[in-house]
Amino acid sequence: METKEFTIKWGMAIDLDKCTGCGACMVACQAENNLAPIADASNKIKVMNWITVYELSNGKPYPEHDVAYLPRPCQQCGHPPCVSVCPVIATDKNEEGGIVSQVTPRCIGCRYCMAACPYHARYFNWRDPVWPGGLEKALTPDVSVRPRGVVEKCTFCHHRWMAAKDKAIVEGRDPMDLAEGEYVTSCTEACPNGAITFGDLNNEDHEVAKLASSKYAHRLLERLGADTQVYYVSRREWVLRQLDNYLEDEKVKG
Amino acid sequence: MGKNYSLPADHELFPEGTTRCSLTKFSVWMGLVGAVALWGLYAAFRVLAEGLGVTGLDDYFGFGLWITFDLAVIALGAGAFFTGLLRYILNIDPLKNIINLTVIIGFICYSGAMLILVLDVGQPIRAWFGYWHANVHSMLTEVIFCITCYLIVLIIEYIPLILEQKQLNRIPILHHLAHNLHVWMPLFAGIGAFLSTFHQGSLGGMYGVLFGRPYVLRDGFFIWPWTFFLFVISAVGSGPVFTVLIATLMEKMTGKKLVSWEIKTLMGKIAGAMLLVYLVFKFADTYAWVVDVLPRSGLTFDQNFYQTIYGKWLLWSELFLCGVVPCAILLTPKLRNNPALFYSAALLDCIGITINRYVFTVQALAMPVMPFDTWETYNPNWAEWGATALVLAYGAIVLSLSYRYLPIFPQERALNATKSS
Amino acid sequence: MAVDRRGFLKFVAGATTGVLATPVPWKLLDDVSIWTQNWPWIPRNVDGENSYVSTISKLCPSAAGMKVRLVGPRPVRVLPDDNHPLSMGGITALAAAEVQLMYSPSRVKRPLKHAGDGAFVAISWEEAEKMLKENLRRAGSKVAYVSGDETGTINELLSGMAKESGSEDFYVMPSEVQPAARAFASMNGNGQLGYDIENSDYVFAIGANILESWGTVLRNRAAYKNSHPAAEKPTVKFVYAGPVQNNTAAGSDEWLPAKSGTEAIVAMGIANLLIKAGATIDAPDFAEFKALAAQFTPQKVAALAGVTPAKLKAITAELSKAKRPVVLTGSEFGQGTGVATVLAGTAVNMLLGGFGREGGVTAIPLAPKVIASGMDRAEIADKDLVAYLSRISAGKVATPRAMVFYEANPVYGLPQPAAMAKVMDKVPFKVAFTSFLDETAEACDLILPTPLGLERFDDVESPYGINQAFYGLARPVAPCVIDGKPAADVLLGVAGQLNMDLGFETFEEVLQAKAEAAGADWDSLMEGEFFTSDAVAEQSDLRIAADVIGKALAAAPKPAKLSIAPVQKLNIGTPNTAIPPYNNKTIRRWELQKNEMYVAMNGATARELGVVKHQRIKLSNSSGSIQARVNIFEGVMPNTIAVLMGFGHTAFDEFSKGKGENVMELLTVGYEAGTGQSVWNVAGVNVSKA
Repeated sequence: METKEFTIKWGMAIDLDKCTGCGACMVACQAENNLAPIADASNKIKVMNWITVYELSNGKPYPEHDVAYLPRPCQQCGHPPCVSVCPVIATDKNEEGGIVSQVTPRCIGCRYCMAACPYHARYFNWRDPVWPGGLEKALTPDVSVRPRGVVEKCTFCHHRWMAAKDKAIVEGRDPMDLAEGEYVTSCTEACPNGAITFGDLNNEDHEVAKLASSKYAHRLLERLGADTQVYYVSRREWVLRQLDNYLEDEKVKG
Repeated sequence: MGKNYSLPADHELFPEGTTRCSLTKFSVWMGLVGAVALWGLYAAFRVLAEGLGVTGLDDYFGFGLWITFDLAVIALGAGAFFTGLLRYILNIDPLKNIINLTVIIGFICYSGAMLILVLDVGQPIRAWFGYWHANVHSMLTEVIFCITCYLIVLIIEYIPLILEQKQLNRIPILHHLAHNLHVWMPLFAGIGAFLSTFHQGSLGGMYGVLFGRPYVLRDGFFIWPWTFFLFVISAVGSGPVFTVLIATLMEKMTGKKLVSWEIKTLMGKIAGAMLLVYLVFKFADTYAWVVDVLPRSGLTFDQNFYQTIYGKWLLWSELFLCGVVPCAILLTPKLRNNPALFYSAALLDCIGITINRYVFTVQALAMPVMPFDTWETYNPNWAEWGATALVLAYGAIVLSLSYRYLPIFPQERALNATKSS
Repeated sequence: MAVDRRGFLKFVAGATTGVLATPVPWKLLDDVSIWTQNWPWIPRNVDGENSYVSTISKLCPSAAGMKVRLVGPRPVRVLPDDNHPLSMGGITALAAAEVQLMYSPSRVKRPLKHAGDGAFVAISWEEAEKMLKENLRRAGSKVAYVSGDETGTINELLSGMAKESGSEDFYVMPSEVQPAARAFASMNGNGQLGYDIENSDYVFAIGANILESWGTVLRNRAAYKNSHPAAEKPTVKFVYAGPVQNNTAAGSDEWLPAKSGTEAIVAMGIANLLIKAGATIDAPDFAEFKALAAQFTPQKVAALAGVTPAKLKAITAELSKAKRPVVLTGSEFGQGTGVATVLAGTAVNMLLGGFGREGGVTAIPLAPKVIASGMDRAEIADKDLVAYLSRISAGKVATPRAMVFYEANPVYGLPQPAAMAKVMDKVPFKVAFTSFLDETAEACDLILPTPLGLERFDDVESPYGINQAFYGLARPVAPCVIDGKPAADVLLGVAGQLNMDLGFETFEEVLQAKAEAAGADWDSLMEGEFFTSDAVAEQSDLRIAADVIGKALAAAPKPAKLSIAPVQKLNIGTPNTAIPPYNNKTIRRWELQKNEMYVAMNGATARELGVVKHQRIKLSNSSGSIQARVNIFEGVMPNTIAVLMGFGHTAFDEFSKGKGENVMELLTVGYEAGTGQSVWNVAGVNVSKA
């Protein structure tokens, strides 16, 4: 299947040498997108996180050991494995900006998209969300709360793009020509280390576009051909090597 | 007319010229099965009331026991469409002696699968969106279309059997209806074969298209990955012997001969032939996967297996013990005619197909694709086993009632008359 | 007209066809998507006008600057504030959760008193204030105040009340602040040490967890951000020395493994090499320092701290080569370090010519106190809570008759908390001003709910680490969601009734006076502005305090065979906040499973101990014991067990309570020779299979 092209292609470049794994992005994401808290969040494969931080190890014993942290939002694939499999078009790659949508009122909860996504970016609402102690009063009005039984995922804070476009229109500017930084995701904004760069991959003036073409920028599981819009940057060879599967004799590209 | 009190109270409802156990004995049996069903209903209730959080499924294993079970019973239920195809379209007449049972098993398998799906989708109230907002590119859409349509076909095929019940058949309109439906049966068999072939294929296609999962990813022909064809052939290579196994189980439980040995071995021979075709393709497919799909994904063969739970023994069992071995037995007349070997082969065949559906469903999800990710393991919990048991109990109930009251085994009278004389 | 059967059937068939021909059923069917999304138990979006208020966090120890987004009257998000020197466009994982903490299930909703049977009974504010007043009057001078605030003027109020009642017992919960202030005081210093990380070209953090919890973290991290352009060679090298490859080590360009509690030794090792290379300090006691440093040869440092001599030499060479290097010292878990650590670090800065230089160490002026009878920051720094409680325990000082805890959780947060709690048990009347039902509150007779920093007026003056004088206000962005009263207002009222003369009627007046004393403009502060000043505190007769370092290091405890390295992460919260509702998702998989915590060690250590990953072990020493499971992490020094702080709460709510165990149980208090400062950064431990 060919990749759909858009005028604007929102993308990220995450510098893995700068991420220290503090978790600010995860907290900011949950608060921004109205994810429900959970009392026991220790079963990591049954806990909703639109962005989660993986720990990478160079596999060497002390003192040669090195560690890296990899924040994983939805990769917003150009050729998404999840979209074609959805039986009810609850997820689509069809809108300017190239963000893979997730229409939770449409989703029937079959979880086929979750099986399709090798990044584990998709999460299922195993139970109804609960906000104890009046926590629902801190919900933002931007993102509807999802009931149980539907799949959800990171949307690159799509509502922020809508808001930025609205603002541009009100101010009489071209909503398709936003300045860099007018629209960023909540995780990008929160990161105190500036590890996440967000912008239009198609706009050469945007930092993210420059980073994406760096020899230190690789994408996750590039050889599967999902053509993702999230780039990972590292100057460490061992980190780059863990971004894709390589046979022993294969060299990391770039 | 004087009553014969030595006959069960409901003997008037029995098929012509047959005997059945006492109503008390039958009720005890139904009570036992009913108890299992009640446990399953409780599980189903909890799932519907609280959500899928009560199951052992998680975000890595969105598919688990239920999907494996569905795929397995749909494959094993393929005896229905395939036997129908052979009987009505290819006119292999002796199969009329087992066709009714294949229809009932098919009906149970498909309706049971639907029941499970109602639990397995997160929003069952929206399940029909598959039609309303269909995505024609999704293999799952095709599955939804075909299995719902095919279930209707199976119901249509099942209805005349019910109408042939001794008392119902006395009502002229029902008698005529049943007769007319029989006349049209080749048409339904044809439609059934078409629908069934497609959704068996689409179920396989569902996995083969997952290019994010090199464990199941397969190239293919036009829009269909090889798994599309493999699933079809493997279903017809196992469905017939599954019917035979069920018939034999019923014989053991009732103490009667229901299907002649000739018919059973004929079914075995047919399944064996299809299994051979399947194995040729399956070995070719596995070879292509190992030398092409995996290396181009940057993976080695060994990386696809993990400890014992997802070990290579599953693959070797599927290919050899449950593939080559039963195939050889079923296709060698001398071995096939040994009942012990024959039934073992049938069982191994069914197990092999189930392993295949299991690894495609579960092992595919267990395997990390991102190098820094880890293998995860999945164990179904009580709620999943409960709902699965519900479907098994439901099948037992339908089959028990059908056997007791419907004339599904044309050979029953003759076989048992011979035995008693 | 009679309806026969046929007619009825016709009607039904006709009606059905008719209805199906209208859009009604189809529309209703399609609406399934809407109503299955909007079950009555699923909260709806509540819209409103967006507004943003700049303020500063009183919950996050980094005093994070932040912008609060409100929708209508509701605060919904804490966002970074690009223009705030304590945010610089970033936010911590703790401050990011602050709005949600307003609705935390563990918030104290109304005044509570401890009934005889151990249960809490809700009482009115009137009754609560009366109870407080009477008990304080009864206690007279036998009263002690404990504050959990490091930067607020409320400490002057609390200490003023102590002094007005004739008590000297005012304490702030231990952190990096006290040893740093005492160190600078022993150098004859004036003001507070500040570190100019943003203008430095080589940052060496010895123990100081600068990218996670040390000092004004967001400012540190902004400096890191700016010096580490993505996909390019860093313009400033960050090096971290510590026992665990923690978050700071993960971000640093180099990790120098060094044993827990040996920060001063590492610094002295650097000093040794620098002096050998010809570096000097213009200070009266340089000769003494030189002689002392001469003892800390790379070999000795290697023996004591586990630092490879080659690496030590390489880093010293890099420091010497750098134009504006800065060395930061501290404890990798933000507390328990000695005065000597800061002194040794400062001496290295001086050897590097970094004192008073751009990109080095500065002394920032602190605003004078505004409550005459209160204590200023220097006086407060001399008050050692752990030492005080130990003295009570040993019978050297009398047990107070009343203790007032202000947003402090010593029952959880002090080393050897069980022993500390036992001391507090002896106090007849204890009152907690707190936002959350924490361990200390549960041990108190009276619990008085305070509004959070987002719901009250409060201030922040120059948090430790900042390189310029700072003053800012925390402003109420929303009404208090519980029946709370600001502690300052309650205390001022009670003080008035007890005829204490604090010089102010309201806390707002106190803050206004403080702002004026700091040189800030009240009106602009009220608009969310903040005050900074590049003024430098004048110094005279500055010395190295080599004698203090010498005494402390001569008697420093020998590292144990197997030692504990506590690891601090802000996302897991502080003793005051516990784990905020959203933050337990940020706890890593092999840090906590259900209610069992994991501790980390490297493979070689595990083999030596005969344990494997996931095995249950018991860690024990003379102070206490905890149970945990083993995680293997190669980023831990040999014979070291990394234990995450922040677990083992016995109070708070379902997000914290009962999860893991409290590492503080294993931290043994000792006293630094010479200064008497309580220290607990070296703890030996035994491991047994559980």
